[in-house]
Amino acid sequence: MKSKKTIEGKIERALESLDGIQRATPHPWFFTRVKARLQREEKTVWETIGSFLSKPAVAMAGLGLILILNLFVLFKQGNLQEATNVANQPVQLSDSESILASNSSFDYENVQP
Amino acid sequence: MDERLLVNQLKQGDETAFKTIVDTWQDMVYNTALGIVQNAEDAEDIAQEVFVQVYQSVNSFKGDSKFSTWLYRITITKSLDHERRKKRKKRFAFVKSLFGDESEIVIHPPDFNHPGVVMDKKEDAAALFNAIGQLPENQRLAFTLHKVEGLSYQEVSEVMRTTVSSVESLMHRARINLKKILEVYYKEKD
Repeated sequence: MKSKKTIEGKIERALESLDGIQRATPHPWFFTRVKARLQREEKTVWETIGSFLSKPAVAMAGLGLILILNLFVLFKQGNLQEATNVANQPVQLSDSESILASNSSFDYENVQP
Repeated sequence: MDERLLVNQLKQGDETAFKTIVDTWQDMVYNTALGIVQNAEDAEDIAQEVFVQVYQSVNSFKGDSKFSTWLYRITITKSLDHERRKKRKKRFAFVKSLFGDESEIVIHPPDFNHPGVVMDKKEDAAALFNAIGQLPENQRLAFTLHKVEGLSYQEVSEVMRTTVSSVESLMHRARINLKKILEVYYKEKD
């Protein structure tokens, strides 16, 4: 019985413990810290670009574009290769042409003073 | 200084107006956050976040309510978000510890001592804050705003967007629940 009364008394005291409470205050220079935080959170141009590019839709579209460009370049390369192969095929020189080449070399080395 | 004038100046990007706003309402915001999260460091962090949001979204303040009411709402939202994040982290740490990961140790915070409580009531207040932390969200908010911030029922109802009679009911239920929680606490302690 006594114990119950004691506990009831403690409960009442606890419930009244916030009467006359004073407002808590933050540490000094609070505004300076708010300003610093604000500056940290203000996005730079590069951060804005980065966050735009990291959007899933933009990222997927960019990836798709890169893939298409790659395929285009590969296709183009294939065509070019074919054309180069045709161009690089050994040419059958005629006898006269060989002689001409030989002559030019000879002429070069034996330049008359 | 005129509240409306300050807000209008801030909307135009006036830094001096922002400083005046922070200086005027920093204690109110910090004390409210502290009453909810019951941790000085977290409350400071939340208070900073509140003013950053005020600066960034002052244009969304239409003046339908008092500026302080708007500030209270932002503070409460941020404090509750913070608590939810913390609880999620705790749950995750607990699950990790079940799987044998000892790096995530669940730390039980010590009793919270509000710096504004009179010295000879510190122990009782710590027990009460511990009990407040176990109340359902709405009861906890109403009780904290009324008892820690000293708002009238009318002001609490404006902040919580409810009626005065609802606040009265919340306060009544909060007191009943607090008595039950404190009874268990003191019985275990004895």
